[in-house]
Amino acid sequence: MKKKRTYSKRSLREATQGYSFMAPTIFVLALFIIGPIIYAFFLSFHKVQLLGTATYQFVGLSNFTNITDDGRALRALWNTFKYVIIVVPIQTLLALILAATLNAGLKGQSIFRIVYFLPTLTSSAVLTLIFMWMYNQNGLVNEILSAVGLPTYNWIGDPSVALIAIMIMNIWATAPFFMVIYLAALQDIPESLYEAAELDGANAFKKFIYITVPNLRPVTSFVVIMGLIGTFQLFDQSFIFSGGSGGPDNSTLTVVLLIYQYAFKSLGTMGYAAAIAVMLSLVILVATLLQRKFSKEESLY
Amino acid sequence: MKAKKWLAALGVTTMLVGGLLSGCSGGSSGSTEGSGDTVEITLAGWGGNPSETRLLKEALDAFEEKNPTIKVKHEVISDQYMDVMKTRLIGGEAPDVFYLDAFEAPALIETGVLEPLDDYVTDEFDVEDFEQPLLEAFQKDGVTYGFPKDYSTLALFYNKKMFEEAGVEVPTTWDEVREVSKELTKDGVVGLGVAPELARMYYIAESLGGEVVKDDKANFGDDKVIEALQPIIDQRNEDKTAAQATDVGANWGGEMFGQEKAAMVIEGNWAIPFLEDTFPNVDYGTAELPTINGEQNTMAYTVSYVMNAGSEKKEASWKLIEFLTGPEGMEIWTSKGFALPTRKSVAEKLGFDQDEKRAALVSGASYATVWANGVNLPTIMNNFNNQFVSAFLGQRPLDEALKEAEKQANREIGE
Repeated sequence: MKKKRTYSKRSLREATQGYSFMAPTIFVLALFIIGPIIYAFFLSFHKVQLLGTATYQFVGLSNFTNITDDGRALRALWNTFKYVIIVVPIQTLLALILAATLNAGLKGQSIFRIVYFLPTLTSSAVLTLIFMWMYNQNGLVNEILSAVGLPTYNWIGDPSVALIAIMIMNIWATAPFFMVIYLAALQDIPESLYEAAELDGANAFKKFIYITVPNLRPVTSFVVIMGLIGTFQLFDQSFIFSGGSGGPDNSTLTVVLLIYQYAFKSLGTMGYAAAIAVMLSLVILVATLLQRKFSKEESLY
Repeated sequence: MKAKKWLAALGVTTMLVGGLLSGCSGGSSGSTEGSGDTVEITLAGWGGNPSETRLLKEALDAFEEKNPTIKVKHEVISDQYMDVMKTRLIGGEAPDVFYLDAFEAPALIETGVLEPLDDYVTDEFDVEDFEQPLLEAFQKDGVTYGFPKDYSTLALFYNKKMFEEAGVEVPTTWDEVREVSKELTKDGVVGLGVAPELARMYYIAESLGGEVVKDDKANFGDDKVIEALQPIIDQRNEDKTAAQATDVGANWGGEMFGQEKAAMVIEGNWAIPFLEDTFPNVDYGTAELPTINGEQNTMAYTVSYVMNAGSEKKEASWKLIEFLTGPEGMEIWTSKGFALPTRKSVAEKLGFDQDEKRAALVSGASYATVWANGVNLPTIMNNFNNQFVSAFLGQRPLDEALKEAEKQANREIGE
């Protein structure tokens, strides 16, 4: 009896101390993350006018049902989906290949690791501006394409290729980040597995397929999830590329750019923007859960 | 021993919370007002080129010299001006006086965040001196919310050397534009540079009697509008004598004209200082826009100074607006011709109608269509611009593109 009381009192004191130390962080989280999320959820059920005298008019689920017949919302969703489906597999594969190459013990690989990582350090806004120069009709990309006899494009002004231009740019910028994650994971694979395989006559390719890839499955799962989350939220590249309009012909309009337009460019559609934001978070949640379900996280030893 | 532990924990927690609070209070200590009886007001606008900045500084210096008790703090918002301004108005942190484009004015007037200016106006201010169509863009139900500070219209800029080499005359009708463009298009040069956006096409769209905006809703799917715009589409995709700036690697019409990738472009007053600074060797002239069905048309773009209804220094703010849009301030601002004056008396004094390159722009003021129409024009414009470009590039028929865009625009406008 006495022991129980002592334990309880002691644990209470320890808990109090712990939460006291965490209080500033919890406060910041609540103020800047939890609070806005709740407020956005609140907004999504209202028709909101913030400019002038602020008005809130409860509209139930109509903000959500309106999404289904909003041509631009569907287009934004389609653009974003197309973007995700293409960029995530390519950047994951590219990151894996780069990591495996730079872990093979080649000469100068440390230098290349640094060089390849640099794109990730570049601000995405600066990166987009630089790429817009390269994508100019008279820019580097078209010069190279015409030099090898391939057709050139108006990467910025042509609806059929504008989103592809952004895809290429983002793969180039993001793959190195995941490459570094893969490199870290590769250090954890026991060397003895490769030695055993070598004794059994496996070549480099087979070692990669049967040892490296299976051992990296948990990391691949992480990389794909992070890739999904990042690509669904594409905004700054599209915004800069199109000057905020989502053009040409809505071809670079993404869900987050659409949210920005409804929230800040139109008057009286802040609530609708919040509804689209809630919808996007649900879409990302579903995509993430599906991905986790399709990849069993198992330990191999 | 236990008491010591509790005291230590309490002390540490107090320090942490205290640090947090002092961080918060640090922010609020910056709200001290100016000392004595001097008033500071803020003026916000988008940036311009260095010469423009100097002119504005000169005008503000002249104002402060005349009004020693008023200091003007000038803020430059370099990108997404209206988004920033709306956010600051919502947050109660907007400047006292700021720029407002005619195209955005109706929506902002509707919200009630702009101060009506009629009560401040004196006879000496001489409202009649303003070009009426430009002033009307900032009025609603007879109430004035802003006074226009400058304007520009569109004119046909043509490359004199290319015209001489091709042996053609400056076109005065759109049919002539197409004929002349065929002679001028060669060796990587197109006859006509086009900006495929509603702000530049509005007068063409309405030239056959159609209305782009009707009852504050998009109406550019109207057959008359489509018929009026079709020749531009045909010139690019059938004649292949027109192009947009990105087709030739430029960012806008003035740049493609300066790079001599286009023999003609339709641009405004803002192109003249740009060409002088960046492409001084290009020999060009300007002419009034070609007529459509015998009618003269052009666009006028204007910007006003407006006062924040939430401002606490309204009298001082009005003095600033009064000076900057009065004869003296406007003359300083427009003296170099970067923009044209909205006051007739200033225009007469500066004599831009005699300027070789600006005469065509000044002439257009009397018959120009002001780029403003109702509260929903920004939404209408965005939808038009997105879809029109695919028709311009030949990827879709014009009527299909515009009808779809009209439907989408009206869906966004709602009610």
